[in-house]
Amino acid sequence: MSLDAIARSEMETWFSVSQFYSREARYLDELEFDKWVGLMAEDVRYWMPIVSNKIGRDVGSELTVRGELAHFEDNHESLSNRVRRLATGRAWAETPPGRTNHLISNVEIGEVEGDLVNVRSQFLIYRSHLETDQEIFSGTRLDKLRPDAITGWKIVDRTIILDHAVLTQKSLGIFF
Amino acid sequence: MLDQGKSSHFDHLVALEKGEINRAIFSDPDIYQRELKQIFARCWLFLGHRSQLPNENDFIATYMGEDPVIVTRQPGGKIGAFLNMCRHRGNRVCRADSGNQRTFTCPFHGWTYGNNGELKVVPGHTQVYHEELDMEAHGLIPVARIDDYKGMIFATFDKNAPALDEYLGDMAWYLDMALDRREGGIEFLPGVHKWRIKCNWKFPVDNFAGDSYHGPVSHGSAWESGFEGMPRRKKGYGYEGFQINAGNGHGFGARWAENEKQVYEMALPEFLDYEKARFPETRARLGDLRGMHLSPMHCSIFPNFSMLWQSGNMRVWHPRGVGETEGWSWCFVDQKASPEHRDLVRIHDLQRHGTSGTWEQDDVDNWVQSTMSSRGYVGRQVMQNLSMGINHEIEDPKSIHPDMRGRIAGFQNEINQRSLYGQWAHMMDGNGPAVPGTNA
Ligand code: FES
Ligand SMILES: [Fe+2]
Repeated sequence: MSLDAIARSEMETWFSVSQFYSREARYLDELEFDKWVGLMAEDVRYWMPIVSNKIGRDVGSELTVRGELAHFEDNHESLSNRVRRLATGRAWAETPPGRTNHLISNVEIGEVEGDLVNVRSQFLIYRSHLETDQEIFSGTRLDKLRPDAITGWKIVDRTIILDHAVLTQKSLGIFF
Repeated sequence: MLDQGKSSHFDHLVALEKGEINRAIFSDPDIYQRELKQIFARCWLFLGHRSQLPNENDFIATYMGEDPVIVTRQPGGKIGAFLNMCRHRGNRVCRADSGNQRTFTCPFHGWTYGNNGELKVVPGHTQVYHEELDMEAHGLIPVARIDDYKGMIFATFDKNAPALDEYLGDMAWYLDMALDRREGGIEFLPGVHKWRIKCNWKFPVDNFAGDSYHGPVSHGSAWESGFEGMPRRKKGYGYEGFQINAGNGHGFGARWAENEKQVYEMALPEFLDYEKARFPETRARLGDLRGMHLSPMHCSIFPNFSMLWQSGNMRVWHPRGVGETEGWSWCFVDQKASPEHRDLVRIHDLQRHGTSGTWEQDDVDNWVQSTMSSRGYVGRQVMQNLSMGINHEIEDPKSIHPDMRGRIAGFQNEINQRSLYGQWAHMMDGNGPAVPGTNA
């Protein structure tokens, strides 16, 4: 492949993934949770480890690892159940629903592994709830995406690294 | 302002004979300051589990009330706890949440303390302090007493506090249903959920102590969406269960199983195989009442420890001002549990409880709103109602089972909340330290 062609295919991937993320963010902000779950692969792993403060020799091991406690450790079924809960009308933490804006940026296309592409992105999510409750979530997402004929991509693996050690948010009732 | 002339400042706020408390106790900053002194500086508070400190020089940082403390495992294995506060200008000597260190060097001017609290190094001790600073008198401030019950580490800043066994009273015996149901006891999984809730600390403690009433309404959405979370009553039971009050403000709620078959009927589906496998061991260790009849669900230990037994969940509610609370939530498993069962417990727990918990989220907003409405002038004059089942306790607990301890009532009864606020008023009046029987 010529340099030109490589550059073009990288740009195409970047453009297509960025558009996919914008659409995903819109589904979440517009409370279209069924459509959001539709972007998840059947075998999706959705995981948010816990960060804590470390010093000295322990710098670099701030995150809990697989098998330890996490904020989220979900699969397709449990994500669908979380969405079903929201639709009951009695999920009080979201009744009335919060108003969110998912800002996704710094989209960086990484290595290709078989039919999966690694993507790193960063998020800043603002949530306003009830009268004056305000929450800001910031962090990084590490995704493995698989091309999909209908949705463009499917999320096969998502690791969410939230920056907060002690969460100032009253709960993690939104999706990332 | 508190009336300093009366012997009891708090009786008028807590009218337990009517099952009422004044809502000002959730919003009055003077009352909150007094809680820090009379409750958090005097009670035994939960610091952590021994499994969090497996090696020499391991430490964890936590809080007792609003006071930051470091819990250390010293060379030789002794566990100690100290104020995380330098004796020079009061800086925190440790900014990590956990780790392994023999010494703690203050980031401000470099005073260095051993993990037994001793002040070891003062930069310029000769040149600028002229060797006049008494190093021995300037160690980290230790807690007054520290002890553990079957791995659960508690400490108090009150040197006159009763022994931990006495403080826990009958609750220790009931706690064995989690701590001692299998050989080897329990351990904590690494990782803790920590989050801030704009609620007074007593709302979650009240909720976990005895509020089996809120489940169907507050948690209906989780329940019907595949997040079954508690043992359910099955048709045909003689008893739905009990609220059991162990004295000193400690209490829990449990379902009742007549026989082994009913234990399994109530088990959470994903844990059924494990429950069947561990049942004979538990029954042999704890006997029929604790090993079969009682399927405990929720619990609070005065003042700010709570537990969800079946979900493998323990937590502490750290006060952060009169209107804010910091929840810390851990997952525990039987030390002998298989890797597969550990995975099931962890996933069950975190999908229901703690930060993203489908149960927890809905609780949190309730506690926030209850707190908020206690701020208005009119709202805080109104008495809050805790009267459920007040004259309907079970007179003779031994008639239910000869081994039963404490006071008991039917499963839907606010006996544990009345005991909690009774203990609260008792401590706030400066009585105590709490001794079994004083508030029975
Ligand atoms: S405050 Fe710790 S050395 Fe000065
Ligand atoms: Fe609840």
